[in-house]
Amino acid sequence: MANNAEPALILSRVCARFADEREAGAYVLRDISLAVERGSFVSVAGPSGAGKSTLMRVVLGLMRPASGHIVRRYERAAMVFQNYALFPWLSALENAAYGLKMAGVGKREREAIARENLAEVGLAHLESRYPIALSGGQRQRVGLARALAVNPDLLVMDEPFSNLDTITAEALKADLVKIWRQYGMTILMINHLIPDAVELSDQVVVMAAKPGRIKEVIDIDLVRPRDPRSPHFFREVDRLTEAIRAVSQ
Amino acid sequence: MNAKWHRHHRLRYRRTLLIMAAVLLLAGTLAAGGYFAGVSWPALADALIRTTYRLAASYLLALALGVALALLVGWSPVADYLFPVFDILQNIPSFALIPLFIYFFGATDEMIILFAVSSIIWPILFAVLTAIRGAHVDLSDAATVYGARGWRRVPYYLAPLSYPAILTGSVVGIAIGWEAVIGAEIIVAAIGATTGFGAFIAEAGASGLNAATIAGTLSILLLVFVVNRLVWAPLLAESSYRYGE
Repeated sequence: MANNAEPALILSRVCARFADEREAGAYVLRDISLAVERGSFVSVAGPSGAGKSTLMRVVLGLMRPASGHIVRRYERAAMVFQNYALFPWLSALENAAYGLKMAGVGKREREAIARENLAEVGLAHLESRYPIALSGGQRQRVGLARALAVNPDLLVMDEPFSNLDTITAEALKADLVKIWRQYGMTILMINHLIPDAVELSDQVVVMAAKPGRIKEVIDIDLVRPRDPRSPHFFREVDRLTEAIRAVSQ
Repeated sequence: MNAKWHRHHRLRYRRTLLIMAAVLLLAGTLAAGGYFAGVSWPALADALIRTTYRLAASYLLALALGVALALLVGWSPVADYLFPVFDILQNIPSFALIPLFIYFFGATDEMIILFAVSSIIWPILFAVLTAIRGAHVDLSDAATVYGARGWRRVPYYLAPLSYPAILTGSVVGIAIGWEAVIGAEIIVAAIGATTGFGAFIAEAGASGLNAATIAGTLSILLLVFVVNRLVWAPLLAESSYRYGE
């Protein structure tokens, strides 16, 4: 699905350490080198402690790397969080409009954009609700609307489906694919679920733990839309399962 | 879980109402029996108004200072070093400082207000600091990713994040504040002349007029109850619902 081969993000020998005293000195990421093509959908998989979330934080500039270089060739990044990270003091509409408000967009304009994005994720009727009054799936949709509202060219997602039930996760996944095709942004997603990674991704980055490092980058060459019951799909799932099993031992 | 929580609070609220009704009934019975005949109600009302004014002024000052300091410190990399300093400072028994306050500010209204600030500020400061530093890293990351950086982080992330902590810190701070203001008024009344509820009960105690002390205590109990029910309880309920999980 990549529009062209130009990278949106390049990481070169990036290392990161925890600032925490107990973990001081231990690398949480070691020599991460990776190029993410513009418009591609890349999943990051691996065992717990492989530094997947840290990698996302480093990419977004939320954590400073200890060494290495990062070339960011995107203009606006957005993130969707595993625990939704919606602001409890704001309504669904205000949450969705948050990034636009911070960017100085006027109230009427930002609310119109946020409303469109809420409608896009199927939540137009719940715009005045506060996060506490929304289900997990609805909260994640607000999180997605908040991300889309800033019109990102890089969307980082930290296990966005892991707290959702299967039906909700499937519906959100379908919406995500539709949105990705429509907007053409680069997506970098942490994903524990192997079939999901195969179904969604152009590439899967397999990470190993202690220290967190890239073990393998697997290209998923299946044509889209992907049929999760096809033999080719199962073959890719097997290949990825083996790769993850190898780094989990 | 929510239903159980609400049931528990409804029950507690009813019990409080029952106790207050019993207290009022007792006060009414005593009044009807002429027990409060010697009490000067205008003097008591004046004392309550002055004490409430001092408390309100102290609270507003402590709120402004406590929240500002907590936002400043909670946000900065030196927070880890300042936290233990604040911890030691808040452990100093506040009444041990009153001679210093009297030395610097005299037996004045300002002294009482500033002394109360030194007591009220700590629960507010610590509640807000704890809220800021205990916030989930994802929420902080979301604020950063979506642009709440630099000074904009204060009004658009840290301040609203701290709202429930400001409320709980205020409730505790004001409870401590009543003690501080009334205690300071009693002490100042002993060394000079002052007004307020502390002075009123100090004078009543000295002249053996227990009815005035009891009338004053019942009045302040009623005042605190009404303020809690009308102001703090709805705010706390609303924030614990919205911010709760």
